[in-house]
Amino acid sequence: MSRPFLGFGLGLRTEHYQHVIEHRPQVDWFEIISENYMVSGGKPLANLDKIRADYPMVMHGVSMSIGSTDPLNQVYLKKLKHLIERVEPKWVSDHLCWTSVEQVNSHDLLPLPYNDAAINHIADRISQVQDFLGRPILIENLSSYVTYKESEMTEWEFVNEVVKRSGCYLLLDINNIFVSAHNHHFKPETYIDAMPSEQVMQFHLAGHSYNGEMIIDTHDHDVCDPVWALYEYALKRFGAVSTMIERDDNIPEFAELRAELTQAEEIAAKTLSAQQLGISGRALLRGAA
Amino acid sequence: MAGLNQLRQLQQDFMHYVLGESSEIVPQIESTPALSATGRLDLYATAYKLRLKEAISTDYEVLHTYLGDEQFDSVMEAYIRLYPSHITNLRYYSIEMTTLLKTQAPFNQHPVLAELATIESSFANSFDAKDQSIITLTELATLAAEAWATLQLSFQQSVQVLPMAFNSFAIWRAVSNDEPPPALETASEIAHWVLWRRADLISHYRPLDAAEHVALNLALQGENFAVICEALLDFFSEEETPMKAVSYLQSWINEEMLSGLDY
Repeated sequence: MSRPFLGFGLGLRTEHYQHVIEHRPQVDWFEIISENYMVSGGKPLANLDKIRADYPMVMHGVSMSIGSTDPLNQVYLKKLKHLIERVEPKWVSDHLCWTSVEQVNSHDLLPLPYNDAAINHIADRISQVQDFLGRPILIENLSSYVTYKESEMTEWEFVNEVVKRSGCYLLLDINNIFVSAHNHHFKPETYIDAMPSEQVMQFHLAGHSYNGEMIIDTHDHDVCDPVWALYEYALKRFGAVSTMIERDDNIPEFAELRAELTQAEEIAAKTLSAQQLGISGRALLRGAA
Repeated sequence: MAGLNQLRQLQQDFMHYVLGESSEIVPQIESTPALSATGRLDLYATAYKLRLKEAISTDYEVLHTYLGDEQFDSVMEAYIRLYPSHITNLRYYSIEMTTLLKTQAPFNQHPVLAELATIESSFANSFDAKDQSIITLTELATLAAEAWATLQLSFQQSVQVLPMAFNSFAIWRAVSNDEPPPALETASEIAHWVLWRRADLISHYRPLDAAEHVALNLALQGENFAVICEALLDFFSEEETPMKAVSYLQSWINEEMLSGLDY
């Protein structure tokens, strides 16, 4: 999979279904949370189908638990595959984390120790998932609040090894890099510089909150200026990468999120050449002229 | 393999901490001047509870309002303690709420709570139940005369029959409309309600009289039309019974409850 550029997208949230269905706002694509549509029928799937008819989509999961030492959840994977057949997404992603162990789900994205045992385990499981789904997947870097004493390398070295050994792609969350850099005292630019450019398929942008000395990845605020600056840095490093804004709490009116996405488009238009941005970027530049 | 076992132990220790159980994880986490290992782990433990409470609150808004914040929080605390999540979709996390409220003190001393939870979970079940074909009166009209005796009905997955010992639907309706709930009343006998989703994806509900409840229950169990008619003889004369049974069938079809006619 060479890097297709989808343009600028938003996370599809139930609060915005009606607006999107009635007004078909200009958004290049939507990202859905896969688990929200792992239901039998009714409104969730009816709304999904309506919106999918008008927009390209990508699927983003939170429960694959790729780093868990439990066996892979085959029931979950079958549901995921079934949903992929329905949605026909451009790509499918989940997180470089574990969420469950001993069949108990934390419903959180829990970090892994950065060592060879974890790399071997995860790379093997990503390969199994990719074989089962018949397509490569994207994995996303986390925000984290702990450092394990048994970690033997940096997070970016860990991510690189997992990608190299599994052949998966990266969903780079710019906000998560910013959050973890603050919480673990590294330079976010160092992380971005270390990423394998050809494997970076998508960006996430989001807001966060301060909790004392720590930053928490809450997705309940606008994207802040330092994260916009880091986004610009990442665009310079990787070129045009499909970008979307994640908002999961304190969800504003659709127009407000759309305006925030325009900010991403403007930063990309300023940073990249029209050629790098392709059709979407050219349209944007025409609009600005 | 040693590395994998170590990873498994670390994950178990971490999860035990998140669940508020005895755990060996703290010495495995770096402390910094900014925040201790415990402070860091507590961020995850706190987020775990908050996330599950948010899921429960979304599913039981009426129960929440009826109980008030403090009492509802004690329900959520009990639920989280007794029901660790074994599912991947938070939509289904709180499906055992009725069981908890029926079985655990002090909640089981107020059976209206379990009834309110049943109403809310039944609406949720109907909301995203399977999409199935809908039988129309035209299909019924084409039924051959000899098919009636062995006729069996298939219902939409969303169709649920709810037994209520209290005026719980009236309470649920008032609270849903931001009105003060009526005083709690015990019914003279158990009342049955049917709740289902129509083709427009809107959920509906209505009370069942005793005879229709018997007929619907038998039909849902897969009994054929002859058996249903025989049971209705307890309520109606021999002359009335076939017409009554057909009228129930017609109303279930008109209300889009049926997905199949098998004979």
